[in-house]
Amino acid sequence: MSEAQTPAGPPVVSLKKINIRYGNHHAVRDVSLDIARGEVVAMVGPSGAGKSTLLRAINMLETPSSGTLHVGDFTFSLDHRLSQKELLALRRSTGMVFQQFNLFPHMTVEKNISLPQMRVLGRSRAEADKVTARLLERVHLADKAKAYPARLSGGQQQRIAIARALALDPKVMLFDEPTSALDPELGLDVLEVMRELAADGMTMIVVTHEIAFAAEVADRVIVMADGEIIEQGPPDQVIRNPQLPRTQKFFRAILDRH
Amino acid sequence: MTGVFLALLKGVPVALAVTGLAFLIGAVLGIPLVLMRRARSWLPRLIARIYIDVMRGIPPVVWLFIIFFGLGSGIIALSPFRAAVLGMGLISAAYLAEIYRGGFLTLPAGQNAAAVALGLTRLDTLRYVLAPQVLRVSVAPMATFLVSLLKDTTVASTIGVRDVMMLVTQQAQAAGGGFAPFIAAAVLYILLSIPVAVLARTMDARMRGRIAA
Repeated sequence: MSEAQTPAGPPVVSLKKINIRYGNHHAVRDVSLDIARGEVVAMVGPSGAGKSTLLRAINMLETPSSGTLHVGDFTFSLDHRLSQKELLALRRSTGMVFQQFNLFPHMTVEKNISLPQMRVLGRSRAEADKVTARLLERVHLADKAKAYPARLSGGQQQRIAIARALALDPKVMLFDEPTSALDPELGLDVLEVMRELAADGMTMIVVTHEIAFAAEVADRVIVMADGEIIEQGPPDQVIRNPQLPRTQKFFRAILDRH
Repeated sequence: MTGVFLALLKGVPVALAVTGLAFLIGAVLGIPLVLMRRARSWLPRLIARIYIDVMRGIPPVVWLFIIFFGLGSGIIALSPFRAAVLGMGLISAAYLAEIYRGGFLTLPAGQNAAAVALGLTRLDTLRYVLAPQVLRVSVAPMATFLVSLLKDTTVASTIGVRDVMMLVTQQAQAAGGGFAPFIAAAVLYILLSIPVAVLARTMDARMRGRIAA
């Protein structure tokens, strides 16, 4: 992560003038953002800033009212409604990890990870289970294949959710406050897995309140407030030496609590 | 009393057949109905809603008369048994669709979001993620409905189905107005409904045990 100066080449994710509105509320305002292959971006900011909304627009769980969205090999203009086929293509390029894990409670861990591979990528059960076994190894839960999610701790469930998303070979991983629902100690295991993922060169966008994690792992920290990116740059610069009063206040509030 | 009770037993297979077949029709037809009820466009939503409100608003006895004497005499010839199965089945579809809908409402929104984010198609999301969970939470209310359907199908005797209730009426008339046949029928229906309730509780506990910690 030392030589993680954004590599050359076309961006994996590119947002241009994205706007998201809920009725009169303008949640995301004209945001443009390029993310390079292998880059790890942490999005921080006060709640209600539009971080999660912007993240969820990258795989169209939120529908922007205007803008252009580029992910992997696909570019979509959002001025018209995307077809079901376009949406599926977009979602196959992205992997998402939610605050609440959202594992399927009626399936074993193995089936949670294998079923999407079979249905989305058309892998055979044998192929899928092989990938699943490898990924369970990678998130340090190889012995939990046959367990149901309810038997696992929150931290374990979240690591399974990460494995489930990775199994589809996404171009970018989107993390929506992955440790916010966890006890601090349980969150550590999740952060460890994410750290390893970053070291392996995965492109990651992480909405988080874990400033220490952002400082250590992220190549770039983006600060959002009121639906806009107000400041961004390397963590050393943004976290230790923020320029705007608004950003200074935000980080001071967070650091005071720790 | 024992003699009366044994005589009523002859009506049990018919009563169970009407109940079982109507329930089956309802369980199957309830699926497209709940999907329409949850559709994005307003037209299927409206149609499903009208159907459900109408079916739940008409007393079963009135509905069976409409099916048997109206539809049955003019358009297609229906035996009393078939008319009863069809009529009660169409009503069951409305109730079961609402039970399924309640099941959908209990699912956390994150389940659908996770399936969508993984790139599962809408059909796969329904088939592998949502429907199995809806079914699990629907087992208990479905069993409750089955028991009430078993009792409601006694109206089939009014259009001439030779079920338990028909035999009760005959026995009562033969006995000159005694109420023993009615007591026997009450006991019989309680005995019939107990296994359904027990089965439902067992299945419900088993399915919940897997999901909950």
